[in-house]
Amino acid sequence: MRPSVPERAALAGLQLLLAAFVLLPFFWMVSVSLKPATEPFAIPARLWPEAPTLDNYVTAFRPEFRTYFVNSVIVSGATVAITVTLGLLAAYSFTRARLVLITALMSLVVLAQMFPHAAIIIPIYRMMRGAGLLNTYAALIIAYVSVTLPVAIWLLRGFLGKMPVALEEAATIDGAGRLRVFFEIVVPLARPGIIATAVYVLIVTWQEFLFALSFTATREMRTLPVGLNDFVGQYGIRYGELMASSVMVSVPVIAVFFLLQRYFVAGLTAGAVKG
Amino acid sequence: MPRNDTLFHWLMLAPALAILGVMLYWPMLGTVIESFHDSSFIRPQPRFVGFEVYERVFGGRDFPHIVRNSVVWTVAVVLLQNLLGLLAALLLNRGLPGQGMLRAIVLLPWVLPGVVAAIVWRFMYDPQLGLINSLLLRVGVLEQTAAWLADSSTAMAAAIFAAVWKGFPFSALIYLAALQSVEREQIEAATIDGAGPVRRLVDVTLPAIRGVIVVNIVLTTILTFNYFDMIWVLTRGGPQSATHIFPTKIYEVGFGQFRFGEAATYGVVSILVLAVLVAFYLLATRSTAARRRTA
Repeated sequence: MRPSVPERAALAGLQLLLAAFVLLPFFWMVSVSLKPATEPFAIPARLWPEAPTLDNYVTAFRPEFRTYFVNSVIVSGATVAITVTLGLLAAYSFTRARLVLITALMSLVVLAQMFPHAAIIIPIYRMMRGAGLLNTYAALIIAYVSVTLPVAIWLLRGFLGKMPVALEEAATIDGAGRLRVFFEIVVPLARPGIIATAVYVLIVTWQEFLFALSFTATREMRTLPVGLNDFVGQYGIRYGELMASSVMVSVPVIAVFFLLQRYFVAGLTAGAVKG
Repeated sequence: MPRNDTLFHWLMLAPALAILGVMLYWPMLGTVIESFHDSSFIRPQPRFVGFEVYERVFGGRDFPHIVRNSVVWTVAVVLLQNLLGLLAALLLNRGLPGQGMLRAIVLLPWVLPGVVAAIVWRFMYDPQLGLINSLLLRVGVLEQTAAWLADSSTAMAAAIFAAVWKGFPFSALIYLAALQSVEREQIEAATIDGAGPVRRLVDVTLPAIRGVIVVNIVLTTILTFNYFDMIWVLTRGGPQSATHIFPTKIYEVGFGQFRFGEAATYGVVSILVLAVLVAFYLLATRSTAARRRTA
């Protein structure tokens, strides 16, 4: 049944409204990032700069920013690799093992997803200090792996649970060992799930703020979100640079998301809706 | 199951379980232990004081504010985010031209790093240079600029609005997936019976996705209650604690003032609140699963 013309016009209008609501802050961020430092802020503000320029990006890409960027890449990269690997191992056994405790253990994993980070951060801080890990990559990577692992296991379990076990059984009968079956059959088949999980873990760790703020003390160890928050204090009035930095922090995750959103959206909704 | 199979599976599970135990469950217990100890910047060595810290926190001036703010913040963000998410999902489920692109665009705020979103909104709310004042002045709603985040009567509403913008895409994504699983025949049957769009929504679509709505509301409640980034970057809990919620207060007391015992006490209270929410979540998922089995 085709909607009538006025109905279609109304729906199109609503769609535009939704797009405008979502995009307005993005538009403002980009607009201000392109504004020359010399162009004064008009009151009320001008929507688009008179002579857009990339100068703010050049200035904002200062050595500290590059350090933060490298730190974020190292910490997020290591977290994604470790979380997805350990999550995959665990998720496989959560779907295949017939152990007595398996349901109880899975409940503990589901429960751990909901832990308030602020409420458990002080004992973790004490542990890190005791181990001499404060202000190191290791502190952040360990914390990030811990908080992303429950969701990763849960997402991957959704995927592995839907994979047929017939292939694995056939390979076992042909004499393939447990590990060979896992690496040569399970891992390749689970690829879409692995990608979806990796994207999710990346989005979460790239923006993590609380642990990074609490566990790093020097500029050399700051990650992008903490560095950006410092900029607000330091360069508070230089909005052009602040917005240019914000764009540069956001572009990597947005790019990854758009490249892989096909896997990601399917994976996340499958897990979330089917529980 | 053969012995070596059992061993294999335990080895596969061991690293993940060890990490969760040491890094999540043990600290949970650690927070409870810490809350019975007093420590400060000058006396960093924790000393056992029983319920003394609890008495101090509960009797303090800030505590009722934190509770009230957390309730207002969580309820408002969750309701608005789910309402908006559901409306957006209904709109995106119509199969209109340009939907694929719009679906990807709608998810953008959720992908945007939290600190970036907060900084951009801080700037949107800027009294002099912000876009919001600028637009409101232009259409004549405001006669002079307003300092949204510096005024304790508007700061919480401003933070809620920004958090809804950041969070509604995720709800929309979940609701959209749920809507796509609603049987077409049911809707067509209702249409033939003469049901208008509102009737179809209330009688067919909403009951069909009721389980997802309940689970999603509980889940977003947990996430919102725990959400630190937005408020910390926008207001740091100010002005005059008008926007302080549990996570921001814990950080301020713990890492701003190094009063770990007090921070842990706020932590224990928020753990107890979450325990109740999690119980709701488990009940909600269990009843949804049960309904699916009988369906």
